[in-house]
Amino acid sequence: MDEKTKTAAGIAAGLQGLEYDGRRLAEIAAEVEVLNDAVRRAAEARLAFDDDPAAFASIMAKEARS
Amino acid sequence: MRNDDLALWELSEIADAIAEKRITSVEATEACLARIGIWQPRVNAFLRLYKEKALAQARAMDAELAAGKRRGPLHGVPMAHKDMYYRKGEISTGGSAIRKDWRAPVTATVLEKLDAAGVVELGFLNMAEFAAGPTGHNVHHGHCRNPWDQSRVTGGSSSGSGASVGARMVFGALGSDTGGSIRLPAAACGVVGMKATYGRVSRAGAVARSWSLDHVGPLTRTVRDNARMLAVLAGHDPGDSTTSEKPVPAYEALLDGGVAGLKIGLALPADGPAPLDAQVGAAVQAAADALGRLGAKISTVTLPDFTALYRSAEVMVKCEAAAMHRPWMEKMPEAYANQVRTRMEAGFFIPATQYIDALRLRAHFVAEFLATSMAGVDAILLPAIPFPIPTIEETDTEEKGGPAVLKMVAGFTGLTRPFNTLGVPALSVPCGFDSNGAPIGLQLVGRPFDEAMLYRIGHAYQGATDFHQRVPV
Repeated sequence: MDEKTKTAAGIAAGLQGLEYDGRRLAEIAAEVEVLNDAVRRAAEARLAFDDDPAAFASIMAKEARS
Repeated sequence: MRNDDLALWELSEIADAIAEKRITSVEATEACLARIGIWQPRVNAFLRLYKEKALAQARAMDAELAAGKRRGPLHGVPMAHKDMYYRKGEISTGGSAIRKDWRAPVTATVLEKLDAAGVVELGFLNMAEFAAGPTGHNVHHGHCRNPWDQSRVTGGSSSGSGASVGARMVFGALGSDTGGSIRLPAAACGVVGMKATYGRVSRAGAVARSWSLDHVGPLTRTVRDNARMLAVLAGHDPGDSTTSEKPVPAYEALLDGGVAGLKIGLALPADGPAPLDAQVGAAVQAAADALGRLGAKISTVTLPDFTALYRSAEVMVKCEAAAMHRPWMEKMPEAYANQVRTRMEAGFFIPATQYIDALRLRAHFVAEFLATSMAGVDAILLPAIPFPIPTIEETDTEEKGGPAVLKMVAGFTGLTRPFNTLGVPALSVPCGFDSNGAPIGLQLVGRPFDEAMLYRIGHAYQGATDFHQRVPV
């Protein structure tokens, strides 16, 4: 079991109270790595301290054309 | 009128004919029921058909009209809806086995609006289990089949909505769209589907897939029909705090503006999540050429980094779905199709910080999209599905699985899911047929709350083409 799969196993058993076999944990670890990396890279390039999730609704209203 | 079979008329024609008392709602409902009798065994679009109840409702609508009361622009029109819109006291399965006998405690706001507008409810429609799946497969209720070729998928998750409208069993249907689930079945079944701006239509009383990305909207045969239906559905709802208080435009009255002078950006992304098939690209290019002949100024635009938009959406969907499904996933994991359950499991492992960052990124993504791809254009034109419609067997992740099948299934949403992250309106309109005889759909994308522009362009396009008038036989 590689380090990422071990981490996933720790989250499943230690934090979430969920049971998965090693093969499934390896698949999940690989999937989560891809998603996390994509969001982290996008965030590093864009996000600042004051960014608020609610800004999405604000910009949609501000940019509305109707 | 084009045809003696009322079921083949358009929604707006039927509604107007009922209003003018040239036909009755009962006649329209009986025509749909006859059509359902022929097509339901072929495509499995309905989960529940309310024949007697619908006829009683149609009689009541006719009686009201005779007494001088017309409820609204959909008075007496028969429809059916994806089986995820709650009606108080009635079964609502969400396409699942888990809720096969569950009865809803409330009625969805959109159903209340359709009731108030005089719609006759024929029943509820097949869908992907808990709206999770882009193909139309359903292991619990049977796969929904494409009316143009029953060996092929309908697209999902609003599979029954696409199939029933495409087969002319109903005049309109509600779908929902978290990653393409209105636009994909609309494209695959040769009908029109609108994913309006996030916040334009209430989600209250609808099964959630992802609260942040879910959009409720109509599937119809024509753009005019769609505009009429959205005008009824749209608007602020105290039951859904994410709905906008912006006034709802008179979409249908704005349809005839034409496209002369409009600037339309064309995007044919060759290197998207799935390679763009040549015949799909040619059909969308031909649609752009047709709009150009109508006076629109067509230019090539570059789309944003779809990878970041797509994966941010996946983070939101997986985290939100895992949170809401956790009790069932723990107690009865076997009650889910494998591919439905496994697609949610990563949500238990994604750090909350990544989920929150995905939400925080949305405003940046929208600002970038408007400042780049949408700069100087009124709308963007691109394919809805980048490849010809595959067969049910080719895309059966439950029976076949494997990387190639999973990749093909993921490719369905490659050009649609990014616009759920952005929240902007997107309309799918039929634009041709592939070499197998299955429909091809184009997608029009606009600025926030500019559904009227998309309808205007789509209507002009349908005035110059006849793809929307072709009927599966």
